[in-house]
Amino acid sequence: MATLHVLSHSPFGDGRFASCLRLLGEGDALLLCGDAVYALQPASTPYASLERLGASTPVYALAEDHAARGGGAPGAGVTLVDYAAFVELCCRYERVNSWL
Amino acid sequence: MKFAIALFAPPHSPAARRALRFAEASLQAGHQIVRLFFYQDGVHSASANVVCPQDELDVAAAWTRFIQEKQLDGVVCIAAGLRRGVLDAAEASRYGRPAANLAAGWELSGLGQLHEAAQQADRLVCFGGN
Repeated sequence: MATLHVLSHSPFGDGRFASCLRLLGEGDALLLCGDAVYALQPASTPYASLERLGASTPVYALAEDHAARGGGAPGAGVTLVDYAAFVELCCRYERVNSWL
Repeated sequence: MKFAIALFAPPHSPAARRALRFAEASLQAGHQIVRLFFYQDGVHSASANVVCPQDELDVAAAWTRFIQEKQLDGVVCIAAGLRRGVLDAAEASRYGRPAANLAAGWELSGLGQLHEAAQQADRLVCFGGN
């Protein structure tokens, strides 16, 4: 069942980010919000992991949280979304799994 | 689409604001919120006693306004609330505490309400973290 995985913790603080990437299934997508947007820091290990996901796993990031944490233009393959798009993503995927 | 929204983080956390913005956006898009469930430190958003610095968004007050204006089912986990001193008049009386602080529009109830909301909704969206 296609799942939207929502991450909100920094990928540098604990193992949620790595665990989530390991568990991603066919058709799943990732939404980074809060401190999880630090995974988009260029040349970082988390960002390299995201790049390895490939086009079959869409990666989204909450634009407001990305901007609030000083993020610049995101890398290729990362889509910045607003809250309306966040809601739409929750409708598009059959399940929403928040990594609390 | 019917949403159930659960918040696990306190009102001073970014997650509480994010959950509020998500709830507002879902109604703006024409969806329905079957229940808002506040659990763990999320229960503090239902306290009428939160005092926020003047230069910050008072997320607890914003939640209370939101559920009142939209007439939503705002449920606070009673066990999590009691543990953190979020009491309605009945619980303050029952446990002999000097005051009740549950803001108007909220209800203390059990964790079963989260389960029921998850069954009734098309999507359960949980908020926590940073």
